[in-house]
Amino acid sequence: MVYAVAAGDRFPAVVAAVGAGGCTLTALALPGRWPSLLPAGLACVGGCYAVLLGLRGGAVDAAAPAVAAALFVAAELGFWSLERSPARYERVALVRRLLGIGGGAVATGLVGSLVLVAASGASGGVGLEAAGVAAAALTLAAIAFLASRSSV
Amino acid sequence: MTRVATPKLGAYAGLASLGLLAALATRRPELVVLAAPFALFAVLGLLLARRPQLEASVALSADRALEGDELELQVQLRADVGAERVELLLELPRELVVEDGANPVLLRLREGERRELALRVRCTRWGGFRVGRMYLRTSDAFGLFRHETVLDRRVPLKVYPAEESVRSLLRPLETQVFSGNHVARQKGEGIEFADLRPFVPGDRIRRVNWRASARRGELWVNEHHAERNADVVILLDSFAEVRRGDRTTLDPALRAAASLVARYLRQKDRVGFVAFGGFLNWLLPSTGTNQLYRIVDAMLDTQIVLSYAWRDIATVPRRTLPPHALVLALTPLLDERSESALLDLRGRGFDLVVIEISPLSFLPPPEGELAELSHRLWDMQRDAVRGRFARAGIPVAVWGDESSLAAALEEVSTYRRQARALHV
Repeated sequence: MVYAVAAGDRFPAVVAAVGAGGCTLTALALPGRWPSLLPAGLACVGGCYAVLLGLRGGAVDAAAPAVAAALFVAAELGFWSLERSPARYERVALVRRLLGIGGGAVATGLVGSLVLVAASGASGGVGLEAAGVAAAALTLAAIAFLASRSSV
Repeated sequence: MTRVATPKLGAYAGLASLGLLAALATRRPELVVLAAPFALFAVLGLLLARRPQLEASVALSADRALEGDELELQVQLRADVGAERVELLLELPRELVVEDGANPVLLRLREGERRELALRVRCTRWGGFRVGRMYLRTSDAFGLFRHETVLDRRVPLKVYPAEESVRSLLRPLETQVFSGNHVARQKGEGIEFADLRPFVPGDRIRRVNWRASARRGELWVNEHHAERNADVVILLDSFAEVRRGDRTTLDPALRAAASLVARYLRQKDRVGFVAFGGFLNWLLPSTGTNQLYRIVDAMLDTQIVLSYAWRDIATVPRRTLPPHALVLALTPLLDERSESALLDLRGRGFDLVVIEISPLSFLPPPEGELAELSHRLWDMQRDAVRGRFARAGIPVAVWGDESSLAAALEEVSTYRRQARALHV
């Protein structure tokens, strides 16, 4: 959110307002133990970055992988804090979990960079857009299907 | 194991979809980058999710302990199918406090791995427990699914009341016919000198008192007091109790009962037990170590059961209270029914001693004029009960926080000595 506010030169107040809304929702979700509110907060923080991109336009933002990694780490830590388990972590389990989050952040950065490189080389068009819509819909459908199959 | 999807799964799926749709709407690839980790995480988590298979058992270093003892508790875990994070909560009764080790604990179990977790627990209060119900919750590396199960691997544990120090025991007024450690009033085989009498045919030569015979010019023999055992019945008043936090008047009563039972059994007496209250429990008098365990086990079952039913001593089986038995009543003097039963016992000629477990230390200090007045009235009422016992010839010793059981028993011994002297 700080990056989005600092990097934008148009309507910084709008960007800040969206980001502040996200932070507020997250701040409410964590101590209040409302897991359903945390994604809304994260979405608003991501939305703040999206508003920045929309207002700024132009070339691809090279900092996107770093922003994505930060958002991912925030989400992981947020859900971890919502677990609020009284159990004492064994050292190995704790280290592995921290390494997992760190590894996820690094992987996010790498995959994000690849996506950005691929996207900057693509020419666009109706076909690519249709493929994008299909990918989003398929992702959602696949997740819904797998979740329904494996729940309980 | 029950499988539950965590809120994270829905959240990541939602964030991924939202990001991808926003990327399409705004034609910004950066938003794909934002959505990608959430989508990948959700898909990988769903594809790699496995149902863990865990087995666990519990072992205790001892199945019997005394109050205040520390025990080692071993939890053995085995994973046929492992899990990235396994939370284990071992359900422990409030009377067992973990001194060393983590409970609950979160650990990692690989496939085929066996782990042993050690806990050191302290037994803070007597009782019979079953330890070993375990709550297991596992989570995969992505944290999208939780598996939960309860394993019941309980093992019994008996925590006996700690023994109070007792210097000397109360001597019963009457002894029984079997040999024991009490010097009986009756004359017979023994080592305590009783009297002199003229020699009669059949007397053993070694019993001749030569000095007395020389003085009197005829044979005189020594007589001795027989050494006999006694019957002792511990009567525990379980009609009512005063409780403060985890402490109740039943705790010192049980500690005293356990100590007295052990000591009397050690000197070859027959000891019986009666828990007299809303729940009647009894054991016929007997001797030996087995009787000690039987009585202590019976004590562990003793609890205060609220009952308005009138009970008198006639409800106790007759064989439980043998004639000439010394009846040691441990009571907080809170219930009219126990008071009446004790007076009834005395009326039937039993050698009765009352050890009052003082409930005063379990009560908060009275605050306000009304509370102080009620407290004084209650105190006077208890004094009146003690007076009724004294008039019936029942010695009452008060045992509270500020005195020891040994002092209470000594008080009773002194009372009985003085009473006998007056009677003589």
